[in-house]
Amino acid sequence: MHAQIVLFDGFDPLDAIAPFEVLHAGRVASGGGITVELVSAEGPREVVSGTGGLRLRATASLRPALAGIVLVPGASGSVSEPAELPDYDPARPPKQDEYIPVLLGRALDTALPALLKEAMDNPQVTVASVCGGSLVLAMAGLLEDRYATTHHLGLDVLDASGAHAVHARVVDDGDLVTGAGVTSGLDLGLYLLEREIGPQVAHAVEELFAHERRGVVWRKHGPTPAPL
Amino acid sequence: MNPAGTWDLSISTPIGKIKAVVDLHEKAGIWRGTAHGAGEEIPLHDVALDENRLTWKQPITKPMRLNLTFDVLLDGDTMTGTSKAGRLPSSGVTGQRRAD
Repeated sequence: MHAQIVLFDGFDPLDAIAPFEVLHAGRVASGGGITVELVSAEGPREVVSGTGGLRLRATASLRPALAGIVLVPGASGSVSEPAELPDYDPARPPKQDEYIPVLLGRALDTALPALLKEAMDNPQVTVASVCGGSLVLAMAGLLEDRYATTHHLGLDVLDASGAHAVHARVVDDGDLVTGAGVTSGLDLGLYLLEREIGPQVAHAVEELFAHERRGVVWRKHGPTPAPL
Repeated sequence: MNPAGTWDLSISTPIGKIKAVVDLHEKAGIWRGTAHGAGEEIPLHDVALDENRLTWKQPITKPMRLNLTFDVLLDGDTMTGTSKAGRLPSSGVTGQRRAD
């Protein structure tokens, strides 16, 4: 099993690194049962995150035909909507602390949405996301009628995009597994390890990282709860 | 008021303001419309006219996928009101009718 974590300009480093470390530890614990790499739509390059100019290097192109996991992180920037939103203009140079939906919107004008659509359409690929990563998918029109979560501040945007927004830490919708805000990337990574490799490997990594996964992984399964 | 014609709209979305073009026409007492943009035509839903108040629903796909509900007041060749995306707060929308 191979996992590609997709970097784009303005990405949130923790959204990418938390699952990277969890899946990489899973590689060791499983004797190579899973491999993980950082990729970008444009190929190998230094990608500038949205946090203090921190850069990570993507070592390959995103290959949606490759079986396994494609994981999309969110962006980091300001969560306060400006009083006056600028015109949508992905060609405008990005600035530090840009409003997060505007940052995510820039990614829509790259090759990323088309590659993500190929990944979503590939039955051998599970698409995963952390934080605003699901909003990139949703804004690209790829989550129509799908169950997903995102950062709690983004749930209304997710819902307005035609997806069913679920307020859970991790949502499993089959070939789409989404995580909520930032640190949920640890939980998402551990859940993917459990689902794709096995609970003993996931447990060993959980113990090593001193992070016990929180909350029920939401699935559209079983009875719908009555109001409590 | 008769809203028939082609309208240029400015709409606020979470990723910034975008332009949209909407065509409105009436047939047998029922108002219909289509939205144009990025080489596609999307039918408007639930178009309703009450005196000078016009409401409709419009899914957009470019540059981002968003379900929008419009509620505007018509004044000559100008419309002013709000668009609302799901549970997000409503935001201002303005439109100008094109001269034939």
